[in-house]
Amino acid sequence: MSADHSRRALLVAAASGCLVAGCKGIAALGPLPKLTADVVTLDHAIADEELMVARYRAALTALRGNRKAAAVATSLLAEHSRHLAALRSRLILPPRLATASPRPSSSPPPLPSGVASVIADLSAAEQAAATRLLGQLKHAPGPLAQLMASIGASEAGHVALLAQARLT
Amino acid sequence: MTRRAAGRAGDSAGDTASQASVSALQDALAAEEAASYGYGIVGSHLTGFPRQFGAASADCVAHEQAKDSLVGLLTARGAAPRPAAVAYRLPVKVSTAAQAVALAIILERQVESAYLGLVAVPDLALRAFGAEQMQAAAVRYTRWSGHSQAFPGLPQSSAR
Repeated sequence: MSADHSRRALLVAAASGCLVAGCKGIAALGPLPKLTADVVTLDHAIADEELMVARYRAALTALRGNRKAAAVATSLLAEHSRHLAALRSRLILPPRLATASPRPSSSPPPLPSGVASVIADLSAAEQAAATRLLGQLKHAPGPLAQLMASIGASEAGHVALLAQARLT
Repeated sequence: MTRRAAGRAGDSAGDTASQASVSALQDALAAEEAASYGYGIVGSHLTGFPRQFGAASADCVAHEQAKDSLVGLLTARGAAPRPAAVAYRLPVKVSTAAQAVALAIILERQVESAYLGLVAVPDLALRAFGAEQMQAAAVRYTRWSGHSQAFPGLPQSSAR
């Protein structure tokens, strides 16, 4: 299955309800169509990355005084931003559905104080995200599963890099 | 290798799926074979560096274990594991410790991308195995290189 085909499948799965009702105007839309598992999976992966980006932004403020730790956090934030962009590029939702799917909260919990604790907190979040992605692969079409597996591997690598940052 | 004789029409989707699984498993096995061979070379140039030598030995064991798992997954599907090459042309010349580390980094990148096929097959157990191996390879890559990657295993062009 090509990537294009799969992307289209996600769009069609999400949009079919709206497309059918579109010509009758908004009042004819009725209840929202149920989102398919692959769209929900992608949407949750996006929400998780948004949360990770927010967590790193907060961490950067907390790590300002430690140049080395701040440099590591800056480079990892950049990679999470790329993950987020890549995931978002796979999701094409009509505006009405774009706000309709349930989402985890996207503001991170407050950071602990101290450089070592902040790094430990980031590391735990990365490990949890990598593990969560392993469980979500089953709902994804092949090309999306490849992207999610790659992002999970990136996050596992982040744990290793944060461990090195903690040692030095 | 041991494809059943042409089955009923209803089997063809399943046959295609299992062919995809076997082919992805063979690709991963080839990369693990190459990595196991390569880490022998890596280790032989790190004997003067106990910490790195220990890491190379541990990583070599990890690749051997992955290889064994892949052989088991292939034989469980009635397929014969493709035999390893007798020797491999190394992607870089290795005569120093630094070059040995560079080789380890390349081997891990090759392993990461070799599992990409497996994480897209319909068999969900194989997907999970492939994704776990990608994570393990990315961790080893980072330990050797001191760098992370935004999209381990993906070709540069598809990673935005």
